[in-house]
Amino acid sequence: MNRLEKASVGAVALMLLAGAAIFFYAPTDFLQGPVQRIFYLHVSSAIAAYGCFAVVLLGGAIFLRTENYAADRWARAGALVGVVFTTVTLVMGMLWAKKVWGAFWVWDARLTSTLVLWIIYAGYLLVRRLSEPGRQAARLAAVVGIFGFVDVPVVHFSVTWWVTHHPGPVIINDALPAQMLATFLFTMFCTIVLAAVMITIRYRIETLMDMKQLIAGPVHVVITREPGGVAGPVQ
Amino acid sequence: MNPFRAAIAVARKDLVSEWRTREMVPALAQFVVLALLIGNFGFQIDSRNAPSIAPGILWLALVFAGLIAFGRTFAAEREQSSLEAMLMTPASPVAIFAGKAIAASVLLILCEVVMLPALSLFFGTPFSGDLVIAVLLATIGMASLGCLFAAIVARVRARELLLPLLTLPLWIPFIVAGGQAVQSAMGLPGSYDQAIGLLIDFDILFVVLTSLAARFVLDE
Amino acid sequence: MSMVVANGLTHRFGPELALDRVDLVLDTGEHMAVLGDNGAGKTTLLRVLATALRPTSGRLEIAGLDAFRERRRLRHYIGYVAHNPGLYPALSAAENLEFFCDLQDASRSRVAEVLETLGLTSVAHRRASLLSRGMQQRLAIARAILHEPRLLIFDEPDASLDAEAAEVLGLVMKGRTAVIATHDHALANRLCPRTLVLRHGRSLGTATHLRVVR
Repeated sequence: MNRLEKASVGAVALMLLAGAAIFFYAPTDFLQGPVQRIFYLHVSSAIAAYGCFAVVLLGGAIFLRTENYAADRWARAGALVGVVFTTVTLVMGMLWAKKVWGAFWVWDARLTSTLVLWIIYAGYLLVRRLSEPGRQAARLAAVVGIFGFVDVPVVHFSVTWWVTHHPGPVIINDALPAQMLATFLFTMFCTIVLAAVMITIRYRIETLMDMKQLIAGPVHVVITREPGGVAGPVQ
Repeated sequence: MNPFRAAIAVARKDLVSEWRTREMVPALAQFVVLALLIGNFGFQIDSRNAPSIAPGILWLALVFAGLIAFGRTFAAEREQSSLEAMLMTPASPVAIFAGKAIAASVLLILCEVVMLPALSLFFGTPFSGDLVIAVLLATIGMASLGCLFAAIVARVRARELLLPLLTLPLWIPFIVAGGQAVQSAMGLPGSYDQAIGLLIDFDILFVVLTSLAARFVLDE
Repeated sequence: MSMVVANGLTHRFGPELALDRVDLVLDTGEHMAVLGDNGAGKTTLLRVLATALRPTSGRLEIAGLDAFRERRRLRHYIGYVAHNPGLYPALSAAENLEFFCDLQDASRSRVAEVLETLGLTSVAHRRASLLSRGMQQRLAIARAILHEPRLLIFDEPDASLDAEAAEVLGLVMKGRTAVIATHDHALANRLCPRTLVLRHGRSLGTATHLRVVR
């Protein structure tokens, strides 16, 4: 087993442990019943998704500064994994909403901004697919990734502002009991590990694909003058 | 190198070209009037519900007119392969971008000049300075973002498809705040001043960000 | 002093190798023709030399400056005419040039001079869309010399130029370093003492007299 395979097995084992904690260790919520158990993975994957998009932001910014293609590959990997976790967050959130609010979708600030997040990074992946691979694509995608990350808090803020003007459902989070908090923190840890492993694997795939496409970083060639050549001293 | 001279030259060049050919503005104006017409059929509008429906129709029409206007500005340069000639000069890409964004916003504002009176005419909603200010403020930020992404997709396949996908989510804050401002300008409850303040904040934020990013998008 | 020193210029479009380790040294005032079939990499090489395209790898110095780091400064030295004229159809010939004077930060008085040089004075106020293809090409050349560049780069300028225009080309190139991509061997021989032959992105070497080996 190579390192990535070991890491994957470890991440899956951690997720199974987290599942056990969610279903057998955490107490049942007396208001919402068993459906509240969605909360642990739902919030954890949202946080993991934000982490992935932070990787996209950092990778893009570093690429724009240094033209280092490894940074761009991390950004690509982060975007894909981030979209997966955002999808998980949205689907679980909708299931939970159906039970608690009676509808799969309500125009709550958090829901809306998560949807916008999903759309922005799905767009990021489309930009990558539709542009010729190489420096240009990496730069354009970096800009999209940076704007996406900046836009999410702005969207969240504006929708929150809008919701407070149009009364709608609001989640009121009481302080969590200690067992719930522990379960949540453990699940969050496991999910973040899973996301990190997924990004690393995806990074490896992107590297191999780049090698296949032969997109190398700039190779610095030392200037050698043609023997007996016409080149004079270059200032 | 004076960036203002370059930016003004680019904006003037685009506006003179538009004035000579008259391609975009008449088409856009016709488009927004059509959008109002479709809106009228889509909703049962009467004098009572007009103030709550008209703003929505206004923003839908404006958003799609904007996508066409901003998409065209860079697509035309691409087709004529004149963008490269411009970028081959020592003029800064940010100045060139600013010039194109200014010209595109002027074109969109010209189409708003048709749309806003048409809106009050068709739906009987009040036409006021407040309404005009709200729409203009939203136009500034939407134009800077729209032009940046139009420049991005100009280098990508399927650009007509991708431009709305990338731009619309980023326009949401403007539509939220602008929508609120227009609703209160039309007499619905809600704080007009607060919405205008938000619009100004978003304008500043995105004009600064797009100017910073323009270099990476336009430069080869 | 060398005007252009290129080392191992390589460019890929995706998996496709457009330019494969091209080395090149051009002296100041030297004129060189780039020959090759369609798809041999002529346009890519010229775009790289014009600093319009950054190669995947390799080094390029123009007038002693690193072409990728000092690109903006170098733009003052380079005049580039792409295969496509890239004019604004709704503007007149003179307006097209005036616009580029503004971008180049050059004086607008240059417009009349340049129109004169290229023999376009009589059509100065005609819209670019109404000019013949040959005249559009001349206008594109006029645009490239507005700022008195030291290095001229022409991508197939002969494609739509008439015989008389070839004379004009020689006139424009006088006193400047020039690189011309062309299919026209006769033109290459007449204007350029040196030729570079490209095939599949690779340089088959430069020669002082053209003899294409098939």
